[in-house]
Amino acid sequence: MATVTDLNISEVKLSEEYVGKWGMFINQDVCTGCQACVAACSMENNIAFVGPEDAGYGRTMNWIRIERFWDGEYPEIKMTSRQPMMCQQCGHAPCEPVCPAFATVHSQAQQLNLQVYNRCVGTRYCANNCPYQVRSFNWRDYKRPEPLPNQFNPDVTVRQRGVMEKCTFCIQRIHQAEDKARSEGREVADGEFTTACAQVCPADAITFGRVDNPESLVSQLTKQYEGLKHLPELGTLSNVSYFKGG
Amino acid sequence: MSKNFSRRDFLKLAGVGATTTAILTGCGPASRYVKREPYMQMPEYTYNGQSTYYATTCRECAAGCGLVVRTMQGRAIKTEGNANHPLNLGKTCARGQATLHGLYNPNRVRGPIKHTRGERLYAFDEDPFNGDFPDVAANLSWDDATQVIADALTKYKPNEIAFLMGAAPDHLFDFVTDFTSATGLNAPIRFGALSMFEARATLSKAAENLFGETGLPFFDIGGAEIVLSFGANFLETWLSPLPYTRGFTGLREGKTKQRGYFVQFESRMSQTGGKADEWIPIRPGTEALVALALGRLAFERRGGALPRAFADVNPKEAAEKAGVEFETLERLAVLFADKAGALAIPGGAALGQSNGLEVAEAVLALNAIPDNFGKRGGVYLSALAPTETEYHRPASPKEMEEFTAKLASGEIKALFVHGVNPLFELPKALNFKAALDKVEQVISFATFPDETAVEADYIFPDHHGLESWGYQRVFTGSAQAILSGAQPVVSPFYDTRATVDLLLAAAQLVGGKFAGAVPFKDEVEFIQSKTAPLKNEANGFFSAVDLPTFNASFQQYGGWWKTESAFGAPNTEDVLNRDFDGAEPEFNGEGEFYLVPFVSPTLAEAGANKPWLQELADPTTTVMWSTWVEINPETAEELHIDNEDVVKIISEFGAVEAAVYKYPAIRPDTIAMPFGQGHTAYGRYAEGRGANPADLFSAEYNQAGDILFGGLKVKIEKTGKKLAIPRLESMMGVYGEGLGEE
Amino acid sequence: MAEKNKSQAAHAHDDQHTQEHFREKHLMLDPLPRGQMNDMVMEAMTSKPTWKYWLTVIILGSIVLYGLGYSWYRLIVEGLGIAGVNRPSYWGIFLVNTVFWIGISHAGTFISAILRVFKAEFRRPFTRIAELMTTFGLVQAGFSIFMHMGRAWLSYWLMPYPNERLLWPNFHSPLSWDLLAITTYLLSSTMYLFLPLIPDLAMARDKSTGWRKTFYRILAIGFRGTEGEWTHLRHAMNIFAYAIIPVMFSVHTIVSWDFAAATRPGWNSTIYGPYFIIGALHSGMGAAAVVLAVVRGTMKNMTYFIRGEHFDAIGKLMLIISMGWAYFYFNDYIVQWYGGDKWTKALLHFHEAGPLGWMWLSMLIVNIAIPWAVLWNSKWRSNPWIISIVGILINVGMWFERYLIVPVSLSINRMPFTWRLYIPAVEVYLSLGTLALFILFYVIASKLIPFIPVWEVQEGQLAHKLSKFGRETVVTVSELE
Ligand code: SF4
Ligand code: SF4
Ligand code: SF4
Repeated sequence: MATVTDLNISEVKLSEEYVGKWGMFINQDVCTGCQACVAACSMENNIAFVGPEDAGYGRTMNWIRIERFWDGEYPEIKMTSRQPMMCQQCGHAPCEPVCPAFATVHSQAQQLNLQVYNRCVGTRYCANNCPYQVRSFNWRDYKRPEPLPNQFNPDVTVRQRGVMEKCTFCIQRIHQAEDKARSEGREVADGEFTTACAQVCPADAITFGRVDNPESLVSQLTKQYEGLKHLPELGTLSNVSYFKGG
Repeated sequence: MSKNFSRRDFLKLAGVGATTTAILTGCGPASRYVKREPYMQMPEYTYNGQSTYYATTCRECAAGCGLVVRTMQGRAIKTEGNANHPLNLGKTCARGQATLHGLYNPNRVRGPIKHTRGERLYAFDEDPFNGDFPDVAANLSWDDATQVIADALTKYKPNEIAFLMGAAPDHLFDFVTDFTSATGLNAPIRFGALSMFEARATLSKAAENLFGETGLPFFDIGGAEIVLSFGANFLETWLSPLPYTRGFTGLREGKTKQRGYFVQFESRMSQTGGKADEWIPIRPGTEALVALALGRLAFERRGGALPRAFADVNPKEAAEKAGVEFETLERLAVLFADKAGALAIPGGAALGQSNGLEVAEAVLALNAIPDNFGKRGGVYLSALAPTETEYHRPASPKEMEEFTAKLASGEIKALFVHGVNPLFELPKALNFKAALDKVEQVISFATFPDETAVEADYIFPDHHGLESWGYQRVFTGSAQAILSGAQPVVSPFYDTRATVDLLLAAAQLVGGKFAGAVPFKDEVEFIQSKTAPLKNEANGFFSAVDLPTFNASFQQYGGWWKTESAFGAPNTEDVLNRDFDGAEPEFNGEGEFYLVPFVSPTLAEAGANKPWLQELADPTTTVMWSTWVEINPETAEELHIDNEDVVKIISEFGAVEAAVYKYPAIRPDTIAMPFGQGHTAYGRYAEGRGANPADLFSAEYNQAGDILFGGLKVKIEKTGKKLAIPRLESMMGVYGEGLGEE
Repeated sequence: MAEKNKSQAAHAHDDQHTQEHFREKHLMLDPLPRGQMNDMVMEAMTSKPTWKYWLTVIILGSIVLYGLGYSWYRLIVEGLGIAGVNRPSYWGIFLVNTVFWIGISHAGTFISAILRVFKAEFRRPFTRIAELMTTFGLVQAGFSIFMHMGRAWLSYWLMPYPNERLLWPNFHSPLSWDLLAITTYLLSSTMYLFLPLIPDLAMARDKSTGWRKTFYRILAIGFRGTEGEWTHLRHAMNIFAYAIIPVMFSVHTIVSWDFAAATRPGWNSTIYGPYFIIGALHSGMGAAAVVLAVVRGTMKNMTYFIRGEHFDAIGKLMLIISMGWAYFYFNDYIVQWYGGDKWTKALLHFHEAGPLGWMWLSMLIVNIAIPWAVLWNSKWRSNPWIISIVGILINVGMWFERYLIVPVSLSINRMPFTWRLYIPAVEVYLSLGTLALFILFYVIASKLIPFIPVWEVQEGQLAHKLSKFGRETVVTVSELE
């Protein structure tokens, strides 16, 4: 496996075999829909709560949501497998080219889709163009009265009104682990750290890791469960694989 | 959870954990508190830009999960599960995550307050998202507070003083127990709405009846191959949700066996039921019957003499009464009989019926067919915590009624309330408010301005759980005996004081037998006196050469647990050798609908003041920030009720209003409502939001003393009002509403 | 002899009658001396404003102050939460208005440039009024687009300007193309408005006193009307007339790419470019008819310049454009439907049968059925009332069309869990604000800018004459330009 450090920035590959690609495997069969990941992500990433009116009007800020549908009619009715949806960190992300300000860009090192809050002018084009509808927009300056801001994670920017945001794969954690590994002269080990949602998930439905490394847990689970991507027909090369289960 | 931990396992696990646990030594009061310091004079263990991690115990419910809290410059930033902790293995539930919104909640009791009953503890108007809602300022010093308690202890006779406490924390309970027993005060009584809705008294009574031992059964879902659950909501707030959720993953993902099958019998699809492979909406009240019928059919399949327990039931009739196809029962019985790891779990509203005890016993008895008692994938007796000799369950509602009667009779003159909010958590029918009015002096130790604090004469706020020392005994969920340790991860944010310290100081002030009863310098010393014996116990997962090292390690690792399994195998000789009458329970009330109240999986009993918990979508309905009532869409159509119509739900004991959610997975003769909202105090995010279904309950109990929350029939009336209930889901995309006809 | 005389007289009378008839009908055949026309235009412009005028200004002004001033201020200070946008309808009426106003601005250039290039004579009196529409409409479009931005105060980041961080806008983004296209269009259409205005400004300068004199002197940039100046001017106008046509086509094509380049069901359509252009012309023509009718009805001496023939001509264009629009609409619809994509189908169904199905239906009625039913008849076409009502209806219909394309189509996407309706809030005030500002611009301009290009009218009148071929009276035009 090539290392992050010997990645040549000028090298452009149009395949899934990017080096340094982080990804996820989500086992919907065990996801219980308990919302712990939503809470964890919100705490880790300083996500604002919006209150009932905005929440009921489709303005929730959470970066990950659990979808559930219904299958059948009473009494033969079932909930479909709960489906956690966060940014799929597309390899060819539809949200990127449409931003006129370069506020959402691709990171070469992590193969992630970045959102540069400072640069965002709020055209919301990216959110329209995200086929997974996972972007959240700061419709207002949502209030977090004192002393709630004491809890803010200092590694994550607090966003202003008018700025787009979305799941970052907890990039602050990735950076931390990479920095640590680099300072110790080694590679980041599989499972050395994980994202907030994967870390908290009581059912272990979310697995995070390097998908370019066939040895990693996430690659192996994806293979074992024949993980599928959402909307593959769009060619987004998303980094999150799902197993629906029964 | 049948897996045992060797020390090597533990080390391996510690390696994969994402966090490191920093040592916080436990010697000397100077280092007992983490201080918020200015940048210029940082404590030596705090570096600029570096996080410090502390292990402690979650106090959002009584399960006792281990947490590792990331702090930075004296602020708590993030809670994670303690990866070493055998109960939750590095995971938490949503409430554990949001505990920081309790710590830094904008409405807390900020210091000792003398207060007129009924007066507000913070300003409030309709819109909690704008404007200020200042808390009432402290108007006493802690010396005054100590004096007040000391006065109460001397003024009243020992039997006129009572302690009402929550299910957590255990160290305080132990302290008060020691204190009261040495001084002749009334023994403390504990209560929690979660245990009421779990019908924990019924479950443990059933286990006692069947196995002859007291103890809470533990169901090893992870090792099973087929699980029949009769309303047990084990993926939600039930008993200890994390190990059960992990068990569920084991059921589905088992590496050595095929994917386990899960069947849920309940009249309203719960979050847990939503994960079932088969969800069977049986008529409320027929749970015991169905269990017995399944038992009989399974037994017949296996062959051999029919045991007494299943002899009297007629499966066909049972199926008809329950409203399920007989073929379904037959098929499930075959599955249950043939699979090696079959498991049946009782729980939920079925236990809160007049025949709840029989339901619990009948379902537990099913486990005798595969004879899974004490085996992998079966039923165990929960491991007792290391400092515990017997399973202490919180008071049942019946016991609470007796306690309330004592208050109402004026027998109790001084009441100390800690860790529980009876004015919200106890059903209105118990009339706790009237009883409280009879008590001369009510002293609350509430951290938050809750309903009970509003009715107290004094509020001497305890620290938030993350600012506190303590320990919690893990009462179920792990094979290992666990004492989960708590330490402050940040210094107290407000002028609060540990209740143990306060009581100690008061006892000193009174002197005499009170001072002698608890001869401790402070809370930490008391805790260490309790944990010290563990140092010499065998099989602890860490060993220490001396007591200070032991104490330090206890804090550092977040508790102490054994490396070997302490699950009890129930004594099962008599399980099937008993009669069940299979009679249907009596339902209270005239209405045409069965009422299924359930605990909101995200809010539970005390989550409503945490804004991020309020904004989490309910796992079944995706509703946020409100209360709703679930009605089958067809029933709703018949009644000309639509989504978001406000209806009045009327039982014989009360009425509440809530907006309708047309829920496709509920029996047409049943309606359901979540418990968790309906606060009249408890901070800006909780107050004035939704309704409390417990207002509908009657003060009637089953044989085990659990209230008949599952045994109500209610009427519904239209009010003509509409109320938007915010949902995350799309009504168009999920229900096709507003998309136009096909 | 008598017979002959009689017949001659009759013939002469007949002749006179025909000529009279032609004169009444056609401005070009009803020449007046240049000076008189100048005076008429000057009078219309400089006559003392009536109280009605001031009332209009005050009402429009307050709507602008509230709608554009106060509401936009709130939008900036409080955030877009006070608007109706949400997930998934991240774009709302703002973008509807942007597309709408760009559409309106199209007709201006269309009338003036295309008709000039093709030498459509009926254009002469109202090129100015139409060109103003382009500029005024584009201003509203610009406002709408900036209003919609989450951080409008940083909108200059979309401009490619040199900076020490070497940050550039993203030229992959259709929005960047948009910005460039609209700016180009605004600049060139302003130039194109200004060039033919110069002779009239010079005329106004010569005929006015006081502040007006100064005002027009500055604007007329020293135009004296020498042969050399005219030659240059004609040259410049010619170049602009040809150059602005592709710009105009590209602008709306690029606006359509905002949608067509996105990966959304319903938007991702290859025909959007021409479809948007014809849509723009549709609404623009309608708007032009309305503006003309209003100008004719409210300003002095305008009944001479603007006549039934003009409405008649515009009506014909409207009819043809309506047919074109219908073709493109159904082409788009059928191709999308035939494509059979699950989400697109859901979206089409949502358009027709969803909660805004009435909007879809009324769009078809007012954009197709009504023009087709009414505009066949030349009598009705020539009636300013009828034509302006049809014009208004078409604009409502076209606004509906954009509303269906933007927020309604955004409601449906590939993640049904997020489908949601859009309910406009403060956007309504903002929209009214832009509309009021557009009208206010006209109201103010009517007192400052000569609305009729007298020189152009006169040029036409000189070129037209009635000739007789045998017994027939025929209009002939001599080549001038
Ligand atoms: S999922 Fe959406 S936001 Fe994330 S990279 Fe893909 S298009 Fe962008
Ligand atoms: S990866 Fe991180 S940012 Fe993304 S959903 Fe999970 S917790 Fe949130
Ligand atoms: S289950 Fe209880 S103790 Fe465990 S994390 Fe959740 S609230 Fe905390």
